[in-house]
Amino acid sequence: MAQTLRMTRRQFVITSAQVGGGMALSIAAGDAVAAALAHREPWSRPLGRGAVEINPWISISPDDSVLIRVASPESGNGVMTQCAMTVTEELRCDWAKVRVESISLNRDYQENLVYSTPGDFVATFAGRSTIPERMEYLLQLGASARERLKAAAAERWEVNPAEIDASNGVLTHKASGRSLRYGEIADHAATIKLHYEPAPKPASEWTFLGKASPTKLTNASIVDGSGVFGIDVRVPGMKYAALMQSPVHGGRLKSYDFDVIKNMPGVRGVAVVEPSAPRKQVRWRLSDQDNAPQAAIAVVADHYWQARSALEALPVQWDPGDGARWKTTEQLYDAALEVLEKPGETVDKDQGDALQLLASSKRRVDATYMTPFCDQAPMEPLNGTALVTADRVDIWHPSAISIQAYCTAAEEAGIRPENVHLHQTLVGGSFGRRLFGDDVCMVIAVAKRFAGTPIQVIWSREEMTRQGRYRSLKAMKLSAALGGDGLPIALHTRLGAFIKSGQNGLMDGAYANGLIPNVRVESTRVPLHILHGAYRAPGYNSIAFFVESFIDECAVASGMDPLEYRLRIFDKWPDAGWKKCLEEVAAKSNWGERLPRGQGQGLAISNWAMRGKPHSGTTVAVVAKVNVTRAGELTVERLDLAFDCGRILNRDAVLAQLQGGMLFGLNMSLNEELTIHDGQIVEGNFDRYPMLRMAEIPKKLEVHFGALSGHDRFNEVGEPPVGPVGPAVANAIFRATGKRIRTMPFRKHDLRWT
Amino acid sequence: MALTLNINGKSHTVAVDPETPLLWVLRDHLGMTGTKFGCGISQCGACTVHLDGAATRSCRVPAQAAAGMKITTIEGLSADATHPLQKLWVEMNVPQCGYCQAGMLMTAAALLEQIPNPTDADIDAWMTNICRCGTYPRIRAAIHRAAEALRA
Ligand code: FES
Ligand code: FES
Repeated sequence: MAQTLRMTRRQFVITSAQVGGGMALSIAAGDAVAAALAHREPWSRPLGRGAVEINPWISISPDDSVLIRVASPESGNGVMTQCAMTVTEELRCDWAKVRVESISLNRDYQENLVYSTPGDFVATFAGRSTIPERMEYLLQLGASARERLKAAAAERWEVNPAEIDASNGVLTHKASGRSLRYGEIADHAATIKLHYEPAPKPASEWTFLGKASPTKLTNASIVDGSGVFGIDVRVPGMKYAALMQSPVHGGRLKSYDFDVIKNMPGVRGVAVVEPSAPRKQVRWRLSDQDNAPQAAIAVVADHYWQARSALEALPVQWDPGDGARWKTTEQLYDAALEVLEKPGETVDKDQGDALQLLASSKRRVDATYMTPFCDQAPMEPLNGTALVTADRVDIWHPSAISIQAYCTAAEEAGIRPENVHLHQTLVGGSFGRRLFGDDVCMVIAVAKRFAGTPIQVIWSREEMTRQGRYRSLKAMKLSAALGGDGLPIALHTRLGAFIKSGQNGLMDGAYANGLIPNVRVESTRVPLHILHGAYRAPGYNSIAFFVESFIDECAVASGMDPLEYRLRIFDKWPDAGWKKCLEEVAAKSNWGERLPRGQGQGLAISNWAMRGKPHSGTTVAVVAKVNVTRAGELTVERLDLAFDCGRILNRDAVLAQLQGGMLFGLNMSLNEELTIHDGQIVEGNFDRYPMLRMAEIPKKLEVHFGALSGHDRFNEVGEPPVGPVGPAVANAIFRATGKRIRTMPFRKHDLRWT
Repeated sequence: MALTLNINGKSHTVAVDPETPLLWVLRDHLGMTGTKFGCGISQCGACTVHLDGAATRSCRVPAQAAAGMKITTIEGLSADATHPLQKLWVEMNVPQCGYCQAGMLMTAAALLEQIPNPTDADIDAWMTNICRCGTYPRIRAAIHRAAEALRA
């Protein structure tokens, strides 16, 4: 692991002969650097005086407040709170006095990977705070700190530590009636060295995890506006940059005329960023996915509005490059559909004899599905603030994976990691958008042209939407042969996608891993200039729609009720959680109720991250109830969800993620599509890329906990619900109108019926 | 040019182009960053403030248009985060990422001023802000509870 953090100094190109490195008018940097460094964490409220660090993760103050450092940034799922809860279970401190802050990556690097070595912590995918390795480590941290506190009290009282009880932040020696608060003995505890690691108690003895449902520790700073997101960072002497990248991804800046704007109020200069290769040396599996800066120009001014106004007035010409040959969206769609007619470039799975069975089958079902490009659209626009000097970089950033941001910043700046300081802020949503560090690269690329001055780069909403790292377009042709009992005996799929795409929900799913004996999965990649990235539940967010709608088509072809059909399929599956999810959601949603034409229920079931195994991942079953007027107006009246992630640690936090995930999946299915014109993304803002609002969400949005199996896993819940909502709604539309919906977004379909 | 703005009961004089949207004057000139930028085109409501009590999307209001009005931002919704909505937002775990929530709170507070006992339909009509995290059901529930608290 140490090796992967060791970065090489990369040679970067500052200028090109054609347009130069940008022209910066002089800025009196003066004391800005010193001032900025003195205010590095403008949001941090220092611990009480005399705080003692028990270990790099836990500090305790004389007033008993406990600071717990967390490796995962908070982007809304409550990960910081969850990690602190896990530590608290063993530390047995007073939850009301717990605070959280982000770890320092610089310290990690300088102090022998103190934060990243254990528990795979730097892989700070926020939602996975509950994987066994991390839970075990957090529990151990709490247990060891607690035992050291006990040992310190035992020394002071000259008693056996085993006679001391630790609870709610107080150490008590019953026999002598003495007690001490943690804050009173923390400095002593910090000097204690245990010669053993105390074993955390088994899960069955937990008193806090799985029992209490505390709300997020970050809430208080949200409701009074004091919480600092990336865009809220204010560093003394800071200037603002408004950004424009090549409207056609992969294009180049041809020319611009700075003279036109140089006398506009507040304007300090422009930074030209040359496109370059992805940043490869970044550790961990996320690596370099489209994280290089695109060709860009940024106007820097005293205030953002000045920068933005000047950018709008700046004459700029682009060479669009190869991407411009994609004139229309239809051209894209045709390209994806065309490859489905030929054998796949790769065969991803081939078991049994699917092709032969299909060729001779008398009962076969064939259908082609497609999902469009989508943007994650977190509410906080992309942004970042950086101060680059000759030998140091400070970056204040709403990263969703801080290790990635840290490494990427070091590399883009060409500065040794020990001189890089990443100041993690709150994150105004990510959904996959803030993982790879393309935003970090751009911020550093702009700021290094204004060395010595802190620069905050802000993407406008339009810029962000059109310069995304998208959920890529996918098309899939599915064919099934049905056996005498109507259940599928063979499945053949072909995927056409613009990326080498994961097929989560199919390749790793239950149908292709035991339930359907003969399966052949093929895929073909179509090269395209449009950049892609991760979007909540990558791969699965499309594949679950394809597969679960298609299974519904198979049920219809067999003349069976869709619930009955799935129950029969999953009869053979060794993980009973699936059937339990189906039964629970069916019972709670009143499945099968008699409905007039124009109304219908639809069902879907899927699993996120099961990796082909039963008793794994999170299984989710959804029933949607829709109403479609004769004029074709669709209302999703109700969504019911039942799930099995094994066990849960904080019921309300789980509920919040499932509610939010259902609505995310619903918006994706009903509303989201990016189109292109002459190689450029057309949609720029919420007027053309609509989001559900209060009046449009289902009147009933129900999460049912009755299918939880209690199996020994705490699997994640943020991504799983994104999959089954779309197909459940599409299947409901079919029942209401007889119209089978095979492409997203549903709002673009004519749903009229007579 | 200098503009005088009355924000959260205090008078501020700023040297700024009077056409600058109020949002950016608050955020960049005055450092009041609780009011958020989400879209810049009156779509999302993240930038909602009160102008003489009315919920207003500040990204499209030229600063000079707000001169002479009583401006309230999230920082001034209450002195110490004790508005019933703020308390319930924490207690009912409404925020996820939290980025939209200042705008949501300001809109909800104006709603309760106008309609002390809002129906679901009132909430639908007023709460047109965007939350990408999908916190709408909790926002609705918290508004109903706050209405109760304010009646008590
Ligand atoms: S930023 Fe003003 S409405 Fe979105
Ligand atoms: S809480 Fe994240 S956008 Fe609303």
